[in-house]
Amino acid sequence: MNDFSDLEAQLKTIRPAPLRESFIARVESEIAKPETTVEEPRNVIRPAQFRTRWVIGLGLAAAAAVLLFVRVNFQAPRDSAGTAAASPAPIAKPAPLPEKVLPNSFLPAGSTRVVYHKRDEGLLFAQNREEPMRRLRSMTQETLQWKNPATGASLSVSYPSEQVELVPISAQ
Amino acid sequence: MENVATHEDWKVCLSEAGPGLVLFARQWVQSLADAEDIVQEAFVRFWRRNHNITNRALLYATVRSIALDRIRGDSRRARREAVVVAESEHSVEPEFHVEDDSQRVLVGALDRLPKDQREVLVMKIWNELTFAEIAAALGISQNTAASRYRYALASLRKILPPQ
Repeated sequence: MNDFSDLEAQLKTIRPAPLRESFIARVESEIAKPETTVEEPRNVIRPAQFRTRWVIGLGLAAAAAVLLFVRVNFQAPRDSAGTAAASPAPIAKPAPLPEKVLPNSFLPAGSTRVVYHKRDEGLLFAQNREEPMRRLRSMTQETLQWKNPATGASLSVSYPSEQVELVPISAQ
Repeated sequence: MENVATHEDWKVCLSEAGPGLVLFARQWVQSLADAEDIVQEAFVRFWRRNHNITNRALLYATVRSIALDRIRGDSRRARREAVVVAESEHSVEPEFHVEDDSQRVLVGALDRLPKDQREVLVMKIWNELTFAEIAAALGISQNTAASRYRYALASLRKILPPQ
């Protein structure tokens, strides 16, 4: 049972102030004007585009990491060759006991994506769409990490990214 | 394609929904002129796309969004309005057509409600939106909308002097 029915009835007896004639006239003149289409701003990234750009960004980060890794690997044999040339004749040593060999390469160690700011930028009336869309902007910091288990060296690439999402508003 | 809506259609829709929409918009701005600007912008945009107001939740979401954008977009203006709000408890132009003292007391009590409760109350009582429509317009669940409505009525009962 609704305990507030009397209060609701009381509230309904009050009427909002009627519309002013000047307001109706303003709306009329505005509706009579030819519609001007609003170009969607160029800095708005649609979700599909964002996905593509995000993949490109991630790919570039991975490529940079691979380049660094390759550089490290190239340097390692050169050092060992130099050492061998400068050394006297090898001395026979007993074969080392088999140990657990750690790979001398960078392995992915983790990735984080921190959304540090999210903002609702309100409605956007895009061209050729009946319903408005809500524009959500989020700023993130993405960090990818690699670690070399053999040397203990670690490598991390961190980059900021900004995402603008257009979410269609659906009501009913 | 030719616009099938007649000239009078929008007038009928505006006269039906307009007073409630202006009342709804006045929650964010103090002056009637600003509220009318918001409703005008929302209504004209909405009408041009839909040529009806059957999707009321979307219309109210549009009004709300434009009002909030306006507040965000002009912070100096918002600060000025905040000063005005602080200085005067009641806005200059009446929001309601008040007929007697009991209604005046009720309107005074409405002004003391928290914004989120008042918002739902205005949509429910003076715009006759369903909880589903309110939920869709505000981006909240139907349960939350219903709870806010009940809290608003309960708060009003506490604020109002016992009869």
